[in-house]
Amino acid sequence: MATKVPATIRAAMVLARTPIVVPELTKFESQYIKYKSELERRLMWTFPAYYYFKKGTMSEYRFQSAQKKPISKQPGVWYPEGIPDIKHGRERSTKQEVIIPKENLEINDDTSVSRPVVKNPTITKADETNDTTSLERRLRNTLYLLVKSGSKGEWKFPSFEASSNIPLHEVAESGVKEIGGNKINTWTVSRKPVNVLKDDKNGSLEFLFKSRILTGEFVPEKKDVEFKWLTKDEIKDFVNEDYYSNTEYLLDK
Amino acid sequence: MERPILTIIRNKRTKASKNSSGVSPQMQRVVTQLSVMSARKKQPKMLKLSNEDLIKHQTIESAWNIYQDQLQGQRTLKLKKQYFAVKEAMDVLKLASPELFAEANVDESGKTFPMEMRVPTDAPPREIWHYNYNPKDSEP
Amino acid sequence: MLRNTSTIVLSISKRGLSTSSVLRGKPGCALVPPVHHLVKIDKAKLSPRFPGLKYDKEDIRSPAYRPENTHQDRVQEHYLNSLQSDLMLINYSHEAKTEKGLKKRTWDVTKSPYHVNRPLRRPQGPEGQQPDIHPIIWNNIPSIESIILNCYVSDSRDNELLAISALLQLQQITGCKPSIIYSKSNVPNWKIRSGRQMGAKIKLTGLPMHQFLSTLSEIVLPRIRKYRGIKATSGDSLGNISLGLTASDVKFFPEIDANQDLWPKIFGFNITINTTAETDERARTLISGFQLPFDLETSKKES
Repeated sequence: MATKVPATIRAAMVLARTPIVVPELTKFESQYIKYKSELERRLMWTFPAYYYFKKGTMSEYRFQSAQKKPISKQPGVWYPEGIPDIKHGRERSTKQEVIIPKENLEINDDTSVSRPVVKNPTITKADETNDTTSLERRLRNTLYLLVKSGSKGEWKFPSFEASSNIPLHEVAESGVKEIGGNKINTWTVSRKPVNVLKDDKNGSLEFLFKSRILTGEFVPEKKDVEFKWLTKDEIKDFVNEDYYSNTEYLLDK
Repeated sequence: MERPILTIIRNKRTKASKNSSGVSPQMQRVVTQLSVMSARKKQPKMLKLSNEDLIKHQTIESAWNIYQDQLQGQRTLKLKKQYFAVKEAMDVLKLASPELFAEANVDESGKTFPMEMRVPTDAPPREIWHYNYNPKDSEP
Repeated sequence: MLRNTSTIVLSISKRGLSTSSVLRGKPGCALVPPVHHLVKIDKAKLSPRFPGLKYDKEDIRSPAYRPENTHQDRVQEHYLNSLQSDLMLINYSHEAKTEKGLKKRTWDVTKSPYHVNRPLRRPQGPEGQQPDIHPIIWNNIPSIESIILNCYVSDSRDNELLAISALLQLQQITGCKPSIIYSKSNVPNWKIRSGRQMGAKIKLTGLPMHQFLSTLSEIVLPRIRKYRGIKATSGDSLGNISLGLTASDVKFFPEIDANQDLWPKIFGFNITINTTAETDERARTLISGFQLPFDLETSKKES
């Protein structure tokens, strides 16, 4: 048996920012969910308004006057849509639409229940300017940190040479703090490596460790270090094919 | 003997009203609570699908099931690849450096996820990312 | 003669399709040939009446049909996208083997002829049988199975109407139909009589379960003052973790909070999170991924 040459061991960190907004539904998914929720509304029991609004109160009056009244059954009338069947003020053959009464619009009350829900935009400034160094881009996807040191370097996950004794995940953690400053709060998922990349040329072994950025940001300490926060699909364009095929199954959408 | 004079009053209630029919307010509240949970007068008409509609519905459902199966298959394949990647990495590490392997192969059961790792929401929050992190705050 | 009749009686009882014997771990069908029925006949299915009742609940023609997947489930998506692979990695142990749990032991038949066909011997030690613990691989990653809310109202031994209030409270919080808890035993000292309504319980799965989980972790628990988290000692050693909410905590549920005048009395309840994890530690890792805090430090100090 040939004597083994001790390989240089490196520890790399796959640093991820978890999605902030839910993934976008495909057309099929959204159509299916809409179909099922319409079915659910059709089969829902009548809303027991008498429980929430006490009889004879102002709130009951406001609620009842906001509701659309169904067509009632009259003798001697022909109903092309079927004979109305009303119970508790609801047409039983269709879904019930409960309308929350609009309060006086002049009162600018932020705590009012009936104020319109305004969602913050999912496409941020960083998306518009395509600022790949921002953590506020592509909120629906997981972002990964790629770095490049020097003008000749390659884009890859930040990787550091290990000395003996220190556990590899700590090497990766302290390495990221070294190049990216102290104001970064990361959580290493596990002490176990998620993958190993073998370099046959110089016989080095690169162990990848999974970590998640929780708060703070990556600010390079040195000038020649460039960094990008990229999604899985974007990483494909920046790294070489071999590197991508060895790491793509570790990455989330 | 004086007889009581009968006076006729129009629209006088002869029956006790529904609310004051001997039921205490507490009992009345419970009756309302029960009626909220009961199906009486609240159920809509049953769905009566024509044959065509039924087939349409069944097609939609089976398409969804096939789609979910595909997604599940992709997820399982990915997890399987990840599992064997960890296994291979640990095998390589064991050969390359038994000390580092011993440091890595530590039982971590019971480790908890940090509270900052949030479940994604339907829309982004007002402050999307917290930038001001001070390592000294979390040390003590 | 007598012997003959007793064998006949025995064979008849062995032929019966008893449902209670199935519960005791015995086959529910005849063991003595000729075996006629292996499967119990559902007579409701044979009748031509009420065709709508014969469909299973997932069928749209059934009156009990309730549509599922009516909304995007962000908690489930978070679990599948981010948590699942992390859980596999955290619980990975190199070259781990299945840890055998304590099992019932066989008798040594050579020692005594009376050991033949004797029921199995108890496992060694004070504990009973325990399940095996398998290493986590890609197909047995822990997930949340169901959440059970159990609201036992001890005051309802004096006033049974309180149980109805508890029933409605669970219904309002979860949007699903709860069932009634009846007291099982007679304890005159505690004024408990069997068969009395003593509260409500509900089992949540799927989307309602995830909605309840996110309401709990995002609205209710953060509003409880000085809440330290779920106790680290919580758990039944089989991967099911429980926590309790007092009446004042339950007030923070938005359904209760929005119309407080409807709730003169609020009841606390216990929440049990059933997971597919085989140990409590694995279950704790899983549950903490849904932003439920754990109180690990105080429990350490106590122990």
